[in-house]
Amino acid sequence: MNGIHDLGGRHGMGPIDIDPEQPIFHAEWERRMFGMFILAFAGGHFNIDQFRSAIEQMQPSRYLESDYYEHWLHSLETWCIKNGSLTEEEIDQRMKKLAEGAP
Amino acid sequence: MPTMFPASQVDGLIRTGGSCRVNVAVKAGFSCGDKIYVVNINPVTHTRLPQYVRGKRGVVVGDHGVFVFPDTNAELRGEKPQHVYSVMFTARDLWGDTTPANDKLYIDLFEDYIRHADPK
Repeated sequence: MNGIHDLGGRHGMGPIDIDPEQPIFHAEWERRMFGMFILAFAGGHFNIDQFRSAIEQMQPSRYLESDYYEHWLHSLETWCIKNGSLTEEEIDQRMKKLAEGAP
Repeated sequence: MPTMFPASQVDGLIRTGGSCRVNVAVKAGFSCGDKIYVVNINPVTHTRLPQYVRGKRGVVVGDHGVFVFPDTNAELRGEKPQHVYSVMFTARDLWGDTTPANDKLYIDLFEDYIRHADPK
């Protein structure tokens, strides 16, 4: 699709950060997101092309404002909701508990 | 749900990354040196064809082998294994006459994305 992800040739996006010293994961949640991706992929929730496709369908401004691993989370949630292994209500409930300080 | 990925291969997947290379013999429709043009498609579904090369003319400079075609695989319409080529474009063909004359862009393109510019 002709989405916001296809940035080749766009002006004004700033330089590409190619710092070889940057950490693989910038935060603990990114490390967990990577692990969740591997498990969900291995569990057959999506193939890699389906996974990319869902990222491309993110709301454009949200896509630009969110981090790389947030894109992964969006896709993982999308496919797990589609195949019935998660519901939006369950995600909302978990988010609420986390906001209240649940481990 | 799609086929499960074997747990025994998860360790390798993390360490070396996944590959969509397919071990099947598929006839190559293009050879190095072939002049091509890129199809102008605008699917609302997944594609690995960037907008900036659509409709442009280039030259095949390498053949990476056979891979799963993402456009159909993303829609569960089959793996449609096919050759992926390294294709060279001049920067001027992509970005116009104000770009440096010697700059070139190399991009990997699936066979479905290209056509012979000089039909044989």
